[in-house]
Amino acid sequence: MSQQLGIIVMVDVEAALKANTLKGNTYLFDNMKLQGSEGLGTDKLISAIHGSSYIDGSQANEQVLNWLPYGVGSLPPTLPKSFLADKSKNSDLKALEDIKALADKITSTDTDEFTNVDDVIEELKRISKSTGIKTQVQDKYSDTTRDLGTSGQKIMDVTGELISASKDKIPEINSLNPLITDISGEAVDKKIIYPAAYGSPDMVTDGWYWAASVDTSTPGTYAYTMDIQLYKLIWSDGVWTWIPVHMKCEAYIKISNDQKKNGFTNAGVGYLPIPIA
Amino acid sequence: MATKTSATPKSEPQVIPTPTKTITIASVVDVVGILATDSLAGQVYFMDTNKAEGSTGQGTENLRTVVSAGYRLVWTVIFLECEAYAAIDEIIIDPEYCEPEKKVYEGTDVSYWMGTVKKDITSPVPYTVKFKVGTRDESIPTASPLYLIGKGS
Repeated sequence: MSQQLGIIVMVDVEAALKANTLKGNTYLFDNMKLQGSEGLGTDKLISAIHGSSYIDGSQANEQVLNWLPYGVGSLPPTLPKSFLADKSKNSDLKALEDIKALADKITSTDTDEFTNVDDVIEELKRISKSTGIKTQVQDKYSDTTRDLGTSGQKIMDVTGELISASKDKIPEINSLNPLITDISGEAVDKKIIYPAAYGSPDMVTDGWYWAASVDTSTPGTYAYTMDIQLYKLIWSDGVWTWIPVHMKCEAYIKISNDQKKNGFTNAGVGYLPIPIA
Repeated sequence: MATKTSATPKSEPQVIPTPTKTITIASVVDVVGILATDSLAGQVYFMDTNKAEGSTGQGTENLRTVVSAGYRLVWTVIFLECEAYAAIDEIIIDPEYCEPEKKVYEGTDVSYWMGTVKKDITSPVPYTVKFKVGTRDESIPTASPLYLIGKGS
């Protein structure tokens, strides 16, 4: 199996949207620190990629890079990808149950708690608030909007709670993760990496991720540019709408003739440590 | 000439008070790096969503988060390899200022930690985060402290 290297793109979405730039608002990481990657935790990552042989002299197989973008204030990527949709749908079902319970209380002869119209209105308001706020998403290429998800997903904070905050507070909510929409630049133009978006059943990546195989036969440092799509939540035409905002972020790969090695054993990649008897 | 009619006023969004300002403190964990070195030193990075108020050390293991009394802090975990496992096991901090608790996202076994800043901070309050990593039994503490900083201190 080819060696899979991961590059994490953490974006402070709120700060990036305010400053209208990813510069200073992006933190890049990879799992190649042991190989000599530099700039982890900054917006100037140089990913170290070792050459085409293992430390035992055998020819290595291809090097694969995987990019995963996340928001600093977004829901963790380890949550099932249906989490937001399920929660939105469940809140609607719960509201229907509450309305049925209210109807039962009104028609019940045992209590006079809900015979007053004001009390009924208060209860209906409480039920209405508990359903959260639906959102729409604007198309990337036009001003048209549509429901987010199959049933119009709702605004959720980082703890997974549906919220119905004031107009001032809601734009601080960034429950949607950033997306990479393209990878281009020097490393692509010079045919050093061959990036593409791949589909996957992996729930962590929400089904799509960018990956590239690397031509390790040409050592050197090469820049590449990620097109990143953030979502800004705004109140527009009577609905909360996620507006796509496009920004760019540059990073580097540094290919060397150094040999690949296993971080545990310092031997070939395929060998695992032997337990101490 | 056609008379321009005003559109039906759009209804304002409903207003429900939210708790207080929420700051997310996200950690990125290199699980393989930790298991290889048996330490968190240089293998975990923290960043928060409060750079606007002056948080510093973003993207390092020595994050200094600016807070005020009443702020809700939420700690989350992301790992470099999606097949790996890491989770916060404990957050050790002076309970006079904050008592973070483990919470679980509804209907999942994915955890986060949450605590409210009890009072304004005049001098930096250090804290330590312990992580459970992979199948290792013992959790591992951060090698150097993180801090909560008072606004303007």
